[in-house]
This record gives sequence, C-alpha cells and structure tokens, in this order.
Amino acid sequence: MTHDHRTRSFQVEALTRVEGEGGLIVEIHDGSVHDVRLRIFEPPRFFEAFLRGRLYTEPPDITARICGICPVAYQMSACQAIEALCGVALDPPLRDLRHLLYCGEWIESHALHIHLLHAPDFLGFSSGLEMAADHRAELERGLRLKKIGNQIVETVGGRAVHPVNVKLGGFYQAPAVDRMRALAEELRWATDAAEEVARWVATFPIPDHKLPDDTVLVALRHEREYPMLGDRLVSTSGLDIAADEYLDHFAEEHVEHSTALHGRMLAGGNYLVGPLARFVLNADHLAPRAAAVAAELGLTPAERNPFRSILVRAVETLHACEVALAVADTYVRPDHPSVPVPPREGVGCGWSEAPRGLLWHRYELSADGRIVDARIVPPTSQNQPVIEHDLTHLIEHSLHLDDAALEALCEQAVRNYDPCISCATHFLDMRVVRQ
Amino acid sequence: MPMHVTVIGIGNPYRHDDAAGLVVLAELQARFGGDPQVTLIELDGEPVGLMQSWEGSPSVLIIDAVRSLQPAGTIHRFGADELSGAAAEGISLGGGHLLGLGDSIDLARTLNRLPSTLEVFGIEGDDFSLGEGLSGPVERACGLAAQQVSDRIEELLGSRPPTAI
Repeated sequence: MTHDHRTRSFQVEALTRVEGEGGLIVEIHDGSVHDVRLRIFEPPRFFEAFLRGRLYTEPPDITARICGICPVAYQMSACQAIEALCGVALDPPLRDLRHLLYCGEWIESHALHIHLLHAPDFLGFSSGLEMAADHRAELERGLRLKKIGNQIVETVGGRAVHPVNVKLGGFYQAPAVDRMRALAEELRWATDAAEEVARWVATFPIPDHKLPDDTVLVALRHEREYPMLGDRLVSTSGLDIAADEYLDHFAEEHVEHSTALHGRMLAGGNYLVGPLARFVLNADHLAPRAAAVAAELGLTPAERNPFRSILVRAVETLHACEVALAVADTYVRPDHPSVPVPPREGVGCGWSEAPRGLLWHRYELSADGRIVDARIVPPTSQNQPVIEHDLTHLIEHSLHLDDAALEALCEQAVRNYDPCISCATHFLDMRVVRQ
Repeated sequence: MPMHVTVIGIGNPYRHDDAAGLVVLAELQARFGGDPQVTLIELDGEPVGLMQSWEGSPSVLIIDAVRSLQPAGTIHRFGADELSGAAAEGISLGGGHLLGLGDSIDLARTLNRLPSTLEVFGIEGDDFSLGEGLSGPVERACGLAAQQVSDRIEELLGSRPPTAI
C-alpha cells in the first residue's frame, strides 16, 4: 500500500456481513476508477436444471432451499408463476395468508440486516457482535422483532426455516385462530418497536451520496397495496408490464468475472430493484404509520441516496408489522386451506418482491404436469451491474480517503444493497486494487 | 440434571456434504421423535435463528458439517468454549452463511443467551458443491455421529452414565 492517491493499491480479502460468500474487486489506475467487478456464483442456475422433469407441484418446496433468508419469496414467486399458467386465482382469505407469511419474511430479513449487518457500519463497529456491548437494548429490540417475523413464518408456513405448509393454490393447513390472535398480540408490540427502530436508524450518520443519474428504479406495483405480491412491474422510466412481458424488456448476460448472470434492461441503462426502488415507486401505498414515519424522516419518492436504504428497510419493517397485525387481528379460518390447481401445458411467469427486490420465475410445463424448463431471476443478479456502477461513482468521489476508509466505505456501500449472495453466489472475497 | 435436550441439525440438502447435520438429525428422529424431553430442530445456519431456537433449553447439541484439513468423515466434538479454538485451528463451521456458528455462539454469549450445556458435533465434509447426496466417508460417519449424539442425549437426560468428551 502506498500513499500516492494516483497509483495506490490495496486489497480486502473478505467482504463480511452479507448473506453467503462472493467477491468484489476494485481497481484504481492513475487516480481514476479503472474497474469494479462483483464476482459471484449462482445457485439458481443449478436449481433451474434440477427442476427439469420434476412435477409442477414441487418448485415451492425445492426453490425455497435456494436461500435461508428468503425462502418465502421463492415459494411465492413459484406459486404465482405456476398458478398463472394453470389459470388459478386465490380466494382473498388465502391471499391474505400469503401476504401475512411474506410480512413475516420481510420483518425477519430487514430486522437482521438493519441490526446485525448494516448498523455496525454506520455506528463505527466492525461487527454486530462488537456493537452489542454498546447498543445492547437496540440489538435486543431488533432480535425480538426478528423473532416475531420467525413466529409469523412458523404460524403460517408450518416452521420458521424453509416453510413446509405452502402449496400451489394455498396451504396444506390453515392456521388455528387462537395462534393468530396470539400473533396479533406480539405484533402490537412489534409495530411500536419498528417505529422506534426507524427513528433510531434516522439518527445514524449517513454518507451524502446519490445513485448515478442514469439509474432506473424498478419495482412491482399493486393497485391498492405496497407490493409484496404485485401485478405489474413499473419503473421510474415509465415501464409498466405484466410478468410474461419481462423478457421483452430485461435480459441476463454472462460477464467474464462472474458465473452469475448480470441483469440489464434491453432499452439500456442500469436498473435497481429492492427497498429503495419499491419505496420510490410505491410510497403512496404504505400503511398509515409507516407513511407517517417516512414523512417524518424526510423520505420522499425523490430519494436516491442508497445509504438511506437502511431507513427504507426500517419503514418497510413497520409497514409489514402493520399489515401483519391487520391480517392476524381479523383472521377467520378459511373453509378450505387451498384451491385446486390442475396442471396445464404451456408457459407461466410470476413474480414477487423478495426483501431484496424483484424475484421473477418462469416455468414451462408439459401436459402431464412435468417441468420442461425453469428460469429464476433473483434480485441480487439484477442489482449486480448497478452495484458495480454505483461503486464506481462512489469511489470516483472518494479518492481523497485513505485506503482503510475507502475500503470500509465500499463494504458499507455494498451492504446498502443487502446482497443475498446465497441467492446469487457462493463464495465472496473482496479485493480492492489501486495501481 | 437437565430434563430437556434440544438437538439442532444444520445444513443444506442441496449442497452435498453440507447436508450431514440434517442426515444425522433424520436418524435421531427415528430414535427420539415424539419424546417430550428431546426437541429436534432443522436449521440452515442463520445465526439469530440458531440462538433463538434453543431459548429455554438447558442442554443443546448442534450437528453441522465442517471443513478443515482432516479426512472426510472425521467427527469433531467441541464445547461452546472451544469454538474460538476450533476457528483458530482452521476448522470452518457452517457453510456460506452470514455469520459462522462460532460467531453465533459468541453473540449468544455476549447477550447471556448461552445454555448451560452447548456442544457441537462437527462432521468433516469433502464436497460442498451444489447437488444431492453425501460423499461415501461422510455418509458412513453420519451413522457413527448419530450414535454418539444419541448416547450424549441419554447421558444428559440421566438415563446413561456420562463419558468423557
């Protein structure tokens, strides 16, 4: 390492506090950013091959294994795609249960990311463990919130990890009313706690930064709801499409440094999925307390600072608690836990908003209900180019920092995207090189 | 004498030898399934979920695949206090998770959430790539590990005399 800002070089071997492992290489030559590459390996490609020849009823269980953090997202997107092909729509009470299950996953994932993975960056700690000594009360509150997310997933999904109660057309069993009422009691505390978390996060020192101007924000949109299960895909550039039109507007391409495919818009430009994009495109559909807190914290649809994604996650956690409480409070056990889903030959596409962003599935079925082809596009693959583009932009404006500070800033910036490397990668090492 | 034991198997069935903890857990299910004194839990290694899964249990046994320089199928046994030492010796516990098992236990210790007894049975894996099925040595070791865990459960419940770890 040298102190000549034009020709420095250094490397960071491991990027921590992301789910899974992968690699990031930053090269700075002659005082300007030469290259930023996120190197990842992609399990969904394995699962796509693994699904071929399987029965059409299996993807919700199998794809849930892609990620330990967001199994519900995989289950929901798989169900949406296959049910669309089979011409099945869920009754409102069953859809409400799915919405509740998804709220559980958002609460779990966001609470974990905010408290253990990202807050240490803002508060100057090297890890959540180190942070625990000075911020124990906040950490305990976050862990209790996460546990309530787990409880939702366990109550509706049958167990907290890799839920087993989800099936095409609904659920194997509908939860008992008394368990849902018990959940509602927990959610009353959770809703207050989530509001406190948002105000706590708002006190963090947040770097002044902005996504590159050419970044397009992309998220699902629902006519009434903040989208977990949305109907249309919209963007800040005016896109408005159905799930089966996805490939007319988006593509994935191989890049040399990664086995993961990079998402790109056919119209050109980098695009972002995830909490910030969801908020910008759907702020008008937040639940009342979440909307009020967002306004109080100065979050508006004009927000473009990725470092404020942690605030959006906190607001979304509050939103998920409010929605979950409403469903649990008014729950009436449905007469049937599922509706029939007969197989149909053809191609079906579906999507949902995983905690980290858009998760698109496509299945081709034969007449006897076997999977001929499967395709899964996870959020981290889609965000990979924009992470690289944003880091390039960030480093160009931060070359005055010493090596350690720049490395820390890069790691913090990557965690803005909460990359789910389990979804998109296997091993992650980070290397920054300045020459 | 503890009246309850929680046994946690960690792994991913689609990452070959990483499934070892789940395979052992399935064998224990056949022996202890329905026993009110024994809770069997499958996890994927998510750290907070791990800590929260043992809440209220005085005795916790964890079975996970590990990676070190030992031959595949080697069975390691650690107490909670030895886990930092395991990491120092280059033994990697858990797969591609956001925190390792050692980190999870350190976090639990910091938050005063460690059970009185916490022991880890680590099964040395060879192949952690994507795919189903264990490698031969690991598959054979799972049977032995299931017997060792089973004996330890009975010791902790007081139905067998204790043996040294």
